[in-house]
Amino acid sequence: MMRLLVLTVMLVAATPAFAIAPIAEWQMENGLRVLLMEAHNVPMVVMRLTVPAGSSMDAPGKEGEASMLAGMLGDHTARHDYRAWADYLDAEAIRFGVGADRDGMSFSVTALSEASEQAVSVLQEALLQPGWDGKRFSILRSDAISSLKKSLEQPQVRAGIAAVHHLYGAHPYGHRSSGSPQSLAKLTISDLKRLYRAQVKPDQAVLAVSGDVTMPQLKRLLAPLASWKGKAKRAFQRLPDPEAAKPAVIPIAMPTRQATVQLVRIGLDRHDTMLFPALLMNHILGGGGFSSKLMMEVREKRGLVYGVYSYFQPLAVDGPFVISLQTRADQAAQALAVVRKVMTAMARGKISKRALDAAKANLVGGFAHRIDSNAKRVGLMSMIGYYHLPLDYLQRWQQRIKAVTLAEVKQVAARYLQPQAWSTITVGPK
Amino acid sequence: MLLALLLPQAAAAAVLHKASFANGASLVVEEDHSAPVAMVQVWLKVGGRDEVPGKTGLAHVFEHMMFKGSKKLAPGEYSHRIAAMGGNDNAFTSHDYTAYFETVPSDKVDTVLAMEAERFAHLRLDPSEYAKEIRVIMEERRMRTDDNPNARMFEELSAAALRLHPYRNPVIGWMQDLKKLTIDDVRAFYKAHYVAANATVVVVGDVDFAHVKKVVARTFGRMKRVAVPPRFDPVEPEPLGPKRVEVHLPGVQLPMVAVVMPVPVWHPGKNDREAAALAVATAILANGRSALLSRQLVDEQRKAFSVSAGYDPFSMGIDLWAAWAMLGKGNTPDDLLKALWKSISKLAHDGPSKAQLARTIRGIVADEVFAQDSLYLRARQIGSMESVGLDAGQRERWLQLLRQVTAKDVQRVLSRWIVPARATTGILLAKGKEK
Repeated sequence: MMRLLVLTVMLVAATPAFAIAPIAEWQMENGLRVLLMEAHNVPMVVMRLTVPAGSSMDAPGKEGEASMLAGMLGDHTARHDYRAWADYLDAEAIRFGVGADRDGMSFSVTALSEASEQAVSVLQEALLQPGWDGKRFSILRSDAISSLKKSLEQPQVRAGIAAVHHLYGAHPYGHRSSGSPQSLAKLTISDLKRLYRAQVKPDQAVLAVSGDVTMPQLKRLLAPLASWKGKAKRAFQRLPDPEAAKPAVIPIAMPTRQATVQLVRIGLDRHDTMLFPALLMNHILGGGGFSSKLMMEVREKRGLVYGVYSYFQPLAVDGPFVISLQTRADQAAQALAVVRKVMTAMARGKISKRALDAAKANLVGGFAHRIDSNAKRVGLMSMIGYYHLPLDYLQRWQQRIKAVTLAEVKQVAARYLQPQAWSTITVGPK
Repeated sequence: MLLALLLPQAAAAAVLHKASFANGASLVVEEDHSAPVAMVQVWLKVGGRDEVPGKTGLAHVFEHMMFKGSKKLAPGEYSHRIAAMGGNDNAFTSHDYTAYFETVPSDKVDTVLAMEAERFAHLRLDPSEYAKEIRVIMEERRMRTDDNPNARMFEELSAAALRLHPYRNPVIGWMQDLKKLTIDDVRAFYKAHYVAANATVVVVGDVDFAHVKKVVARTFGRMKRVAVPPRFDPVEPEPLGPKRVEVHLPGVQLPMVAVVMPVPVWHPGKNDREAAALAVATAILANGRSALLSRQLVDEQRKAFSVSAGYDPFSMGIDLWAAWAMLGKGNTPDDLLKALWKSISKLAHDGPSKAQLARTIRGIVADEVFAQDSLYLRARQIGSMESVGLDAGQRERWLQLLRQVTAKDVQRVLSRWIVPARATTGILLAKGKEK
């Protein structure tokens, strides 16, 4: 049992002001950008390669395409069937996986530093020598469909599906990355091959590396990737701006004791000039754990919930902004009223300098913790590289947090927190 | 060219510095100066097993009440202060221990230790705060268990599988008990269990051991000495034959099947070979991409869409060994069970291949290295071992034991412990739809 549910949502990734190692950059001739942060305290290397083949590239009616392609590229290659591939990866103690989210597809590798060379060859083989085994495709697809069905036992999943459909409709973000049982049933290997040939290319790709390796070593290691060539057909950033969805109330019936309530709207994109003020605003609202206003009002003062939080996802275009809570079904209206009251007050400018200073102190002081592992550093570097943020992003992060003014935070609160602009999804007993 | 030659040698295992104090409190420090951060964890040898019947959930109540005010701090102030230093805090409770932890900039470690010691020794336990917090805990139970069919099934299954051992009760407590707990129960539990001899302070990160030792000596080290009785650790009776429970719940989309059974944990120097072999056998069945159960039952025989198994050699008294499978459309529990036992008994009969054994062991050892990437996991590993009475310094010894496991050892422990006659089977089905 944890006292607080720990969220693993990619928030505005943040970071740093003590003397952190700078990000070293190298661009291969094929266009692949390589970013490295060295760390020699643990004999391991973590790598993540991101290509512009996220679920926003899924063809209409073929939702889940990118996700299934990721599943296939991770499962086997032309040289190794799934058994041989699994045996090899385990024998080398290489943890390897491929996954897709809205904006990109990532190949992740964790290996002992003594197996760095093998780790790169795994990446190379998975990227360049896909296996397209038809039998495995049917199995992976069937298991993905079962897994989607099983996930419908979770109220949060039901709410999430309703949220993306409502907020984004026919927009490329308007479906779950994993697709639906219906759309997966329609997929063919040819669909996956088409997406692979169009988008799994080095020119927009970023390889982030953190761990026990130096740049000269890395350059030698990456030589096998030189044969990867070509340009992706579409840029992942080229998406229509989503239009604000008409606020609605969406009830979903489930035989649960609690009601899961989500307030949702469209938020910001990764390059929004108000991103840092929004980060602080959200931290004060519901992103800052026990210090946040929602936690204080709904849980600490009234004991209505175990968890209540808010987050926004800054993507290539405006991602979702979500406020979520669960409470015994007969208390849902009361909890919701408290949330709306907090939002209204903040939207009207009731945010104190003290609250802002506390949020800044927490974020600035917590910076070192945000970059204290190879896994975290690779996540941040992938974001920095893929979204073309400046390489000194981490060095400047704390400064940018400190520079946010109260007026800016009030401005973003007024822009985003008007309750009437949000839709309400309630999952629970009728 | 062999790249390994160009790379730095694998780091030697980090050194654990230990100290203990006259009142029974102890300290373990692992220094890592790679970032100006430290993980501070206070571990207590107190958990669900220390509750009496009718009062389940008490140990976990503290995970909440420790943030609700002490002599010097108002309710909620603890977290606000940690947040103000750029830290974050949390806590968790198991059957065997309770732990409180903070990640903070390393120059704040002294302050945090003083705050931890203060609330530990002078918790307020205000009745009106308790009245609110117990409602939060009930919401936590509804979210984690009551509205989560898989979790509900495991709760029911553990209760059916064990007769004496406290692992039969949920750590969060039965809802019936939560409704009846009072602030007096909470106070009595606090007085009995929140004492120096139950505390282990673990610090991992950018700190100096000698300095931390001084700080802990004048905080936790100065608390009153109170004797603690031995912990409740009954001998679980040997199962007399297979048992089976069905859990029918509304909202279930697809069935889940699990088998559980009591197995020995590691007692250093007493059952080294057996415990290590159980760990390796379970890993052969369930770890990594080449895991045997997933390959045979999911990929080859199509009896389920996912299969896992787990064994914790560092539990207390026994571990409840488990294997569980998520069934897809058209799969039936009986087919799955038949295939599951066939896979396990075949491994017990034939033994693993050399390659299978080697890659499994290498994988476990590599995962130990990967876990070093997280200060949280490092501290957690140390704290959990110390709290169940295993010296955390024995971690290396454990890895050595794993390396020595042979195919025969694997066969022996599977035939002895992982057999249908000892198992309790649980089946989760949709209410109203079962055949």
